[in-house]
Amino acid sequence: MYREDVLCRSILGNIPGRQTRQYQSPSHTPTTMTDFKGVVVDLRSDTITKPSDGMKKAMMEALVGDDVYREDPTVSELEKRMAECTGKEAALFVPSGTMGNLISVLGHCEHRGSEVLLGDLAHIFLYEQAGMAQLGGIQPHIIPTNPDGTFDVDEIPVRLRYEDVHYPRTCLVCLENTQNVCGGKVVPLHWIDKVGEVAESVGLPVHMDGARVMNASVASGVSLERILRVCQTASICFSKGLGTPVGSVIVGPEKFMYKAIRLRKVLGGGMRQAGMLAAAAIYSLDHMVHRLAQDHHHAQLIAKAINEEKSRNVTCHPDDVDTNIIIVNLNPETVTPDQFCERLLMVSEDEINETGDGGVLVKVMPWTTTTVRFVTHLDASLDHIQAVITKLKYVIRELDSIH
Amino acid sequence: MAAMLFVMVGGAVLPMLGSDIEGGSLSMGALEDGGPGGAVPAQMTVSVEEGIEGGAEMEVVEMKHSPEKKRRVRIYSQKFRKEWLHLKEFQGWLTEGITDDRAHCTVCDKELLAGKSELLKHSRGKKHRTRAAKSNPNPPPVQHGLSRVIDEDGMPHLLRIVDLRSDTVTQPSREMKKAMMEATLGDDVFSEDPTVKTLEDRVAQMLEKEAALFVPSGTMANLICVMTHCWGRGSEVIVGDQSHLYLWAQGGMAQIGSVHHRTIKNLPDGTFSLNEVRGLVRDEHDPQSPLTSLICVENPHHNAGGKAIPLNWMDELGALCSELGLPLHCDGARLINASVALGTSPARIVQACDSVSLCLNKGLGAPMGSLVIGTKEFIAKAKRLRKVLGGGLHQSGIVAAAGLWALDHVAPRLSWDHTHARALAQSVCEEHSSAVTVDLKDVHTNVVLLHCDNIRVNAKKLCQRLASVTDEESDELSEQIVVMALAISDTTVRLVTHCDIRKEDVRSATRKLKYVIHEYDNMMYLEYKISV
Repeated sequence: MYREDVLCRSILGNIPGRQTRQYQSPSHTPTTMTDFKGVVVDLRSDTITKPSDGMKKAMMEALVGDDVYREDPTVSELEKRMAECTGKEAALFVPSGTMGNLISVLGHCEHRGSEVLLGDLAHIFLYEQAGMAQLGGIQPHIIPTNPDGTFDVDEIPVRLRYEDVHYPRTCLVCLENTQNVCGGKVVPLHWIDKVGEVAESVGLPVHMDGARVMNASVASGVSLERILRVCQTASICFSKGLGTPVGSVIVGPEKFMYKAIRLRKVLGGGMRQAGMLAAAAIYSLDHMVHRLAQDHHHAQLIAKAINEEKSRNVTCHPDDVDTNIIIVNLNPETVTPDQFCERLLMVSEDEINETGDGGVLVKVMPWTTTTVRFVTHLDASLDHIQAVITKLKYVIRELDSIH
Repeated sequence: MAAMLFVMVGGAVLPMLGSDIEGGSLSMGALEDGGPGGAVPAQMTVSVEEGIEGGAEMEVVEMKHSPEKKRRVRIYSQKFRKEWLHLKEFQGWLTEGITDDRAHCTVCDKELLAGKSELLKHSRGKKHRTRAAKSNPNPPPVQHGLSRVIDEDGMPHLLRIVDLRSDTVTQPSREMKKAMMEATLGDDVFSEDPTVKTLEDRVAQMLEKEAALFVPSGTMANLICVMTHCWGRGSEVIVGDQSHLYLWAQGGMAQIGSVHHRTIKNLPDGTFSLNEVRGLVRDEHDPQSPLTSLICVENPHHNAGGKAIPLNWMDELGALCSELGLPLHCDGARLINASVALGTSPARIVQACDSVSLCLNKGLGAPMGSLVIGTKEFIAKAKRLRKVLGGGLHQSGIVAAAGLWALDHVAPRLSWDHTHARALAQSVCEEHSSAVTVDLKDVHTNVVLLHCDNIRVNAKKLCQRLASVTDEESDELSEQIVVMALAISDTTVRLVTHCDIRKEDVRSATRKLKYVIHEYDNMMYLEYKISV
């Protein structure tokens, strides 16, 4: 019936206790795998991008040394540049954003019995395997997040712990920009400044999980230095929209970097000739930042296309799309995110006949119990996006015709 | 190029059109006829701003014009050009001066005339070069091989630098980089990178274990192994007191993993007493004790001098662990070196081990990366730990490809590193010195430990001496050689050979070592205090 061989099982998996709803779908005539001449577009994440030829050339030509002895000139150059463009004193190259955030939290919260204030939808809280607690003995204290990615600033002094033997000690406030779970939202600059002001008034440092802060900077037209002004430290990823194979950077005060280097070593992030990876990051700073606007434009195109269908089952508003992430809402009574993702990975002969060019398969990620996430990136060109739009329109109309 | 001519008349700026401007000079014909402002005043300042290719950009022309005598006096002075800041010769020290016809040298803290030839002359001066060399915040990378270096007096020298600090300093070769660039990539966080999978399968097969996991460093590999074995709270690990895992991982297993350790005394050959192990295993019914969950062994044992652990002892240890019901982890950072030294396959060495950590970034010469090897179940847990530690890389196939290339092309030549190490040790032995000694029998792999007598020389001084060059030395050896080594204790200096060391490096290092040791032997006075 369905094209099982094309199903992408790795993203779906089995979630125990999940009820699969009755998904009524018209019968599709199967086609064999070898016949599939169409397009496969992967919009699961902007981490899947592969390095371009120019980037690879830069990596090959980089001067390298042993970074554990701090003798790698390319890593030094990257760190200097990142410190300059973020207006901080120093920077440190690390293998991943997870490690960047972990080092920052552990570096701020050095003493036993610490607590961190952060949003309940923060990546650090949800998707870093509780690293701060598991490895650092630090308790996260969550604040409800608003749909625009912010949280109520007044919650900070309310939830701040005062000195009492029953209480841990609050030592850090964490922000995220762009806010991933809320849909790649650019948090307002005045809110960041307000958080900084309040945090300073109660004596707390601010750390920004800026995995996609470059997207925020391009979308809002505000410089990185301005966005990060009130943040003492920040973690910035190169392996996402900027397209490098590996790597992130932490920025902050020089004294903090001494701690950060030690933490990086004990966690196992001390890489040797890391200059090859730093070269890719430098290349991306020179060539990949401005084109992020294209990814944002592509995201808008998809959101607009879904919105134009005015479907009861699949909705998305272009105003909710700030950067390169689109959260698509599904009617829970009609279709689950898993089923929707599965359907996007299937194609029937009728569909090929109607849409032409051999059909389109789209890989996306089920996000919450009622939403699906699309992420545009540099490996998804305008043609790919248009193919995705064609596919989406067909699938939405199909869904609407049944329900 | 558009030329803009402004005439300042009594303070007001009026644009002048139609003036004849040739090669930077200003003909005053139009002005003499009277300008748009009417009668020409007696004194007037004219500024000409125009872009002329390759010449002085801005000129100030002061003119005193009196109606009685038509006298033109032109004074040109060069203004500072921002383009100069991008030129290589001026980088790191040139900035704008106080006035626009001056430049400032930040290194000498001196104001200079803003003329390109002047600035070039200044940059070539001895004092400036000396100061620039001293104040350079990002010194050029330590280049193994022939290097041109500026000394404290600003004189350039041609040095042969032999970097024997560690086998991690190796540079990736052109062919290795080509393999990296041609690798097929995917996102390893989604387990979709084919090159990483190939590497993991290959190494698992090589060690005859079920599965492997690629991680950014050996420290992370060992940490993951310990934490995976010690999955439950209140665990304890038995580890050698001279092992890397205990001494040089920043206490990671305790700091990050909440795992306690019991050290066991390492013997000079890297092994430990198996009977003592029995005594250290905790009683699981005793609530005062943590639970012994793992025994660790290091092969080859680095602190003992890169010694390959005897095979039969490894088997005995394995049998003991089976008897006690404890898993055995092997820190095999330089395992391939051990297998070359023992003449047996790496799989045979770790036959009794439940998990192994193996480094690609040491003797094998890859830029980064290590592997954790174990059972499928073990690797599934290890993968989770890798993610929480921050080792989940995306297109890591690009560095895994270097590892694959290294296994094909560098692993077969590891015996050369051992030969070179023996040659270095031999040269020290031949001196029959009492100041610096080495036991040739102790050199199994690519590590040589030099012992200093702490009377004429200690480890730190020896490293400093090996890294400096005296005039007599360069006269006698007719070559300026710098050998870089690490002092790992007060009296021990470590030399590690690697794939970037060639015959001429060994030859030079040998000559240097002999010269320096000879120098110590001939010391007529005691330079260092004897602490009693």
